[in-house]
Amino acid sequence: MTTLQQLAKPKPLRQRPPTPQRVRDDYLRFLPWVFLTPALAIYSVVVVYPMAYSSYLSLFRWDGISPTKVFVGLQNYVTLFTQNEVFWIALRNNAVWLVAALLLPTSIGLGLALLLNSKFRGSHVFRSIFYFPAVLSLAVVGLIWTWIYHPDLGLLNQALTASGLKGLTRNWLSDPQIALYPVIIAATWSAVGLPMLLYLAGLQTIPEELHEAAKIDGAGPIRRFVHVTFPLLRETTLIVLAITAINALKAYDIVYAMTNGGPANKTQLLSTWMYFLTYNYNQVGLGTAIAVVLFSLTLIFAIPYIRFMTRKT
Amino acid sequence: MNETIAKKGILPHQSKVALFYFAMVLAALIWFTPVITLVLTALKDAGDFARNGAFSLPKWIRWENFSEAWETGVKNYFWNSVIVTSVKVPIGIVIESLAAFALTHMHFKWADRVFTYILIGLIVPIQMTLVPLTLLMNLLNLIDTLPGLTFLYIGFGVPFGVLVMRGFFRTIPTAIIEAARIDGASYFRIFFRIALPLALPAVVSLCILDGVATWNEFILAQIFLRSDELRTLPLGLVQFSTQFSTQYDQLAAAVLISVVPIVLVFLFFQRYFVSGMGGAVK
Repeated sequence: MTTLQQLAKPKPLRQRPPTPQRVRDDYLRFLPWVFLTPALAIYSVVVVYPMAYSSYLSLFRWDGISPTKVFVGLQNYVTLFTQNEVFWIALRNNAVWLVAALLLPTSIGLGLALLLNSKFRGSHVFRSIFYFPAVLSLAVVGLIWTWIYHPDLGLLNQALTASGLKGLTRNWLSDPQIALYPVIIAATWSAVGLPMLLYLAGLQTIPEELHEAAKIDGAGPIRRFVHVTFPLLRETTLIVLAITAINALKAYDIVYAMTNGGPANKTQLLSTWMYFLTYNYNQVGLGTAIAVVLFSLTLIFAIPYIRFMTRKT
Repeated sequence: MNETIAKKGILPHQSKVALFYFAMVLAALIWFTPVITLVLTALKDAGDFARNGAFSLPKWIRWENFSEAWETGVKNYFWNSVIVTSVKVPIGIVIESLAAFALTHMHFKWADRVFTYILIGLIVPIQMTLVPLTLLMNLLNLIDTLPGLTFLYIGFGVPFGVLVMRGFFRTIPTAIIEAARIDGASYFRIFFRIALPLALPAVVSLCILDGVATWNEFILAQIFLRSDELRTLPLGLVQFSTQFSTQYDQLAAAVLISVVPIVLVFLFFQRYFVSGMGGAVK
């Protein structure tokens, strides 16, 4: 029989023996690394270590097969800049591509976002249509546009002929003078979706009252855009420009699928020329040197981007 | 609904709306021309294509294009892509979420530095890694294997995955995590029972974005897969196009087969594209 006193006395809670504070602290300090290890390990092996090793290899003359690598210092870079004609073509093409990427998809994306931000019937369908190319693989985009540019059977030349502009038809992807531009158009088609999406997200954050206020003050649509909308999209614009530039410098698949660098290497980019030198001509030193040049170009746009992404909030 | 579009002006309201829609539909049609061409080409036979061009309606629909393309090799490419994507995405998401959780809710002193280190991977051109990876994969006997390719995909997926998951975890109030800590839950328990379930929308977004990116990847597949029967879809299609360069009907059918899963995902999960990309820039 339990007495009243026994019932009233609270049972002590079952407790783990307390871990010494120092051991607990060490454990908690160590624990984040446990969470991070799988991701950091595979990322370091697959991405970071190869980057470092590529930079190192760019200082050697090597065919990728023979056991000996000859240390040549910066000779590979000198060779690229002074003797490798295609390198200059590729560099120039990258520059053209970059300028086009900073102007076209960004402004088209912004324009579409402004049009499609207002909720009218069907606006979602239009958003999907304009975004859709962005989800296709660039290899597939390249293949589709190759047919469009086909000299006889392609839609472009047929449409030009049908509208009495036969003089403008040409063999778009085989004409060394212009072959790069059709490829850039195709790339633009697939690159518009992302800026449009980011701008749409940016526009959502602008309060409607600001527009109303500007309207009451008598500002027309153009002045409202210049003085209200666009300044508020500054952050979005920075991200859009950085991401588009970084992606433009990564371009590879679409060129490979459409022209394979030809005709006469006129559509080579640094990325494709790196592939050719390394895997077709066994010039591993020159190939890795190109990769380093490409990475340095990327850094110009990437450093502000990374600064922004890691900003303190 | 359309007051925003049609304002007072020379034209009456109705005609302005009509004009707006006309312009939008026209623009959308022009924008979609490549896709329409693809579908039309896939549905007609090669002779029809050669005689009447790309943009005419097919005289009759030739479904055999699809079965022939499927049997010529697309079947293999398709299943290879399915295998690689369905292994890569879940593994990637688990390790990326674990890392993102450590970077956001574990009072980790080095969080900013580690995050910056991971972000480098977002900007690095893949060419920068190809030669050392070739040597490494050769050493590990992983060249020309699907597990090898998947391994690389997981590694390259880390930066974007951590970015998206970190963006979402940051929106989980610290108070929730702290309350669970005080109740005696371990960080592993908190991660699996609280953080990950709360982050479900982000996980779905990442699944989709990552799935699409993996499905579409070209250059790593091109370098590290050698034999035809192991090729994934983008690589297989480009190869297909160089081998059967004149069989547009079959090639178009093959391309269309590769696009169908993407279209389905896109139609059903569209809003996750937006939220996922939003998370990436938060």
